Amino acid sequence: MLFAMAAAPLLIIPTEGQQLTDRAKQIGGKFMCMCGCSQVLTQCNHVGCSTSATMLKELDQAVTRGDSETAVTQMFVQEFGTKVYAEPPKSGFSLIAWTLPSIYLGLGTVLVVFVISRWRKPPAARTAPTGNTPGVSAELLERARAQAARETED
Amino acid sequence: MDVFGSFALLLAFVCAVYAFAGGIAAILTRHPLLVKSTRQAGIATCCLVFLGTLSLEYLFFSDNFANAYVVSHSNRDLSTFYKIAALWSGQEGSLLFWSFILAIYVFSVLIAYRNKNGELMPYVGVVMAGVQIFFLTLNNFVVSPFKALAIPGANGAMQLVARGDGNGLTPLLQYPEMVIHPPNLYSGYTGFTIPFAFALGALLARYPGEKWIHLTRKWTMIAWTFQTMGILLGAHWAYAVLGWGGYWGWDPVENASLLPWLTGTAFLHSVMMQEKRGMMKVWNVWLVFCTFLLCILGTLLTRSGVVSSVHAFAQSSIGNWFVGFIVIILLVCFGAYVKNRDYLKSENQLDAIVSRESSFLFNNLVLLVACIAVLSGTLFPVFSEWFTGDRISVGAPFFNKVNIPLGLLLLFLTGVGPLLAWRKTSTESLKRNFGWPLAIGVLGGATAFALGFRQFYSLVCLILCVFVASTITMEFYRGAKVIRTRSGASLAASAIDLTMRNTRRYGGYIVHMGMVLIFIGLAGAAFNRDVQKEMQLGATMQIGPYTLLLQSVDTRPEKNYTAERMIVEVMKNNKPMMMLYPEKRRFATTVENGTMVAIYSTLKEDLYVVYAGQSPQTQLPVIHAYLNPLVKWIWFGGVVVVFGTLVALLPNRRAVLVLSGAQQPVGQQLQHGLTPSPSVTMREGHD
Repeated sequence: MLFAMAAAPLLIIPTEGQQLTDRAKQIGGKFMCMCGCSQVLTQCNHVGCSTSATMLKELDQAVTRGDSETAVTQMFVQEFGTKVYAEPPKSGFSLIAWTLPSIYLGLGTVLVVFVISRWRKPPAARTAPTGNTPGVSAELLERARAQAARETED
Repeated sequence: MDVFGSFALLLAFVCAVYAFAGGIAAILTRHPLLVKSTRQAGIATCCLVFLGTLSLEYLFFSDNFANAYVVSHSNRDLSTFYKIAALWSGQEGSLLFWSFILAIYVFSVLIAYRNKNGELMPYVGVVMAGVQIFFLTLNNFVVSPFKALAIPGANGAMQLVARGDGNGLTPLLQYPEMVIHPPNLYSGYTGFTIPFAFALGALLARYPGEKWIHLTRKWTMIAWTFQTMGILLGAHWAYAVLGWGGYWGWDPVENASLLPWLTGTAFLHSVMMQEKRGMMKVWNVWLVFCTFLLCILGTLLTRSGVVSSVHAFAQSSIGNWFVGFIVIILLVCFGAYVKNRDYLKSENQLDAIVSRESSFLFNNLVLLVACIAVLSGTLFPVFSEWFTGDRISVGAPFFNKVNIPLGLLLLFLTGVGPLLAWRKTSTESLKRNFGWPLAIGVLGGATAFALGFRQFYSLVCLILCVFVASTITMEFYRGAKVIRTRSGASLAASAIDLTMRNTRRYGGYIVHMGMVLIFIGLAGAAFNRDVQKEMQLGATMQIGPYTLLLQSVDTRPEKNYTAERMIVEVMKNNKPMMMLYPEKRRFATTVENGTMVAIYSTLKEDLYVVYAGQSPQTQLPVIHAYLNPLVKWIWFGGVVVVFGTLVALLPNRRAVLVLSGAQQPVGQQLQHGLTPSPSVTMREGHD
C-alpha cells in the first residue's frame, strides 16, 4: 500500500538556487548526499550543507563538460566510494538487487499457477450429481449445509 | 524509586520464568493447580512490568537526575507531555516500553480467556512467557533503564553522582505525534506476539477445530490496526517535522515497520481460505510465524546498527541478543511444524481458476514479493559488503522503481478479488460485476489525461483507484438496495444495516476504500513542486498560484526553547489569503534545532512552507516552499482504514428468531388440534 509513497522524492524539482540542468537533475537523482542526511543529492534540504553544494557544483561542471553518466558516476565513486549510490548500479554484483524482485515475482507466479492447477478438481469431481441421491446420509447433508452456510456468509 | 523499579523488573523476570517453566510442567502433568498458578504468575509478571514502567515515568516526572537514562533524555523545563514520551526516546526505555505494551496484551489475553479454551491456553501462556523472558532479560541484564549516573572518580573507581539538570529530549521528538506514534507502532509490533502465541500454541497442542484460527485472526487484526496507525502517524510526523517535504523515504527503520505489515496483510486475506474452505493451513501458520519474526528482525535493524538509518537508536551489541532470539524462534517453529505437520493437513481443492481463492493466492504472492523485495533491498548494503567488500547503498529511487508496480498490481487485485465468487465465478457474473467499474475507471483515466495528468504511474494509479472505488460502491449499493426493498428504509440506513449484518465483509470493503484514498494521495506525489529562496523582509516568492511574502521575523522565548519565527503572508492570485508561521526552535540543552513546518492543507494540495535556516553567506532567512498535491487524502484514507478495521472487528448483527404468542404450552395446543405455529418476528441481535 505504501509502495508509491516515495514517489515524491523522485519527482521533486531541484531548488531554484541550484539552477541545475535537466540532465544534471536526472543524474544527480542517482546519488546520495554524503553529509549523512540519507537524502538523495538533489533533495538535500540542509541550508548551508557544504557537502551537497560541493557535490552539485562538481556534477554541474561535469555535465557542462559533456561528461557521460558513467564518467560522472566514476568520479563520485572514486571520491566517496560505493556509498554514494542512491540506487545500486545495474551491473556486477548489484545486478542481483535489481533482478531479484522480478525473479521472486516470476517464480512466485509459476508456483501459484502450479498450485492452482494441482488443487483444481478433475472435471468429473466438479460435476454436480443430478436427480435424487437416496444414498446421502443425514450427517453428510448436515455437513454440506454447514459448509454452504460458512461459504456464503461473506 | 529506581531501586523499586529495578526490583519490580527483576521480580517480573522471575515470575515470567516460572510462568514458562511451570507452564511446560502444567502441560506435561495437566495438574489443574499448576495450570492456575502459572497463569497467575503470567498476570503477576504483567503487573510487575507495569510497576517497573511507572517507576521510570516517576523518575522523569520527579526530575531525578541521579538516573543515567533520565539525565540523557529529559531536563527540568521539558513539558509534562514530553516527559511521557521521554520514556521511549532511548534504547533502554524503549525496550522497557516494549515489555510494557507486551504486558498489556498478555494481561488482556490471560484475563479474557481465563475460563475458555482450557486445552489451548497453557500452550499460549508458555509462548507468551517465553517472549516476555527475552525482553525482561534485556531490561534487567543488558540495557537496564534504572542505572544510576556514575562518573569515574580520582582513583578510577566509578562514583555515583546526581546532576542539576538533564540533557533534554531530542528536538525531533518534541512534537505531539511523537507521543502517539511510537505507542501505536509498538502496539503493532508487540501485538503480533499474540497471534504468534495462538498459532504456535495450537500447533503444539494439536488443538482441534478452527477456533484457534478465529482467535489468531482477531488478534492479528488488532495488531495490524495499530501497525497501520503507527506507520501513518510516523509518515505524518516525518512530513510535519523533518521539513523535507515528503512522508516516506524508504529508510531502513521505515522499511522495518512495513515488513510485518505486509505479511500481516497477507495473512488477513489468506486466513479466509482456511476459515471458508479449510485450505492453506500450513501457509497461514507460517505467515503468522514470519510476521512475528519480521517484528523481531525490525527491532534488530532499528537497534543494532546493522544498517545505517537516521531513525535508529545508538549502535550497541544488543543485536546479538536479537539474532539469538530469532534463531531460537525459528528452531522452535520449525521443530513444532515438523513434529505436528500432519495436524495442518488441508483440504486443498479448487473448483475453478477464476475464483476468490485464486485471487487470494495472487494477493498473497504480490504482498510476499513486495515484502521480500523491501527486505532484500534494505539488507543489500550488508550483503554487498559481505560479498564484495564495498557497501552499496540502496535508496528511495530503487525502492520506488521496484515497489510502485507491485503496489499497482495489488490495487488492481483489491478491486477484482472481492467481486469474484468463492469456488467459481461465471462469465455472466464477471460481466455483471466488472462492466461498469471498468468503464468508469477508463472514463476517469481519460478525464485525468485530458486534464493534463500525464505521468504514467500516476495515471494508472488513478484509473485503478476509480475502478476499485466503483466496485466497492456497487457492492454496497447492490446489498443496500435489497434491504431497502424489504424494509423501506433509506439507502443510507440500508447500507449501515447491511454493514452491521456482515461487519467483516463490509468493514473489509471500507478498509479497501481507505486504501484507495491513500493511493490517490500517493499518485499526487508525481506533481510535487518546490522552490527555495533567500528572502529579505518584504521579498516574495512564487509557487503555483501562491505568492509568499516575508513580512517579518520574530523571536519568541519559550520555557524549553527559543523559537525563531518567519511571518509569511500567503496570497493566491494576488489576493491576501492567510498567514503562515514556519519556525526554527533552538533548544537550550542541545545543539540540535527543531523545525516546525507551516502547512496550509486542502483536499487539492498542501502548501508546505519551511524556514530552512539562515544562509551562511548572506545571513538572510531561507524559505523552502513545496506544493504537494493530494497529500491530505493519505491521512484521510488512513482514518478510513482504521475505521473499517474497527467495523470489521465488531460482531455481526444478525436477524434472530423470537418466538411469541405461544400463550399455551405446546402440549395444550396439540390437544386442541392446533399446529404449534408461534408467530415469528425478526429482531436484531448480536451473535
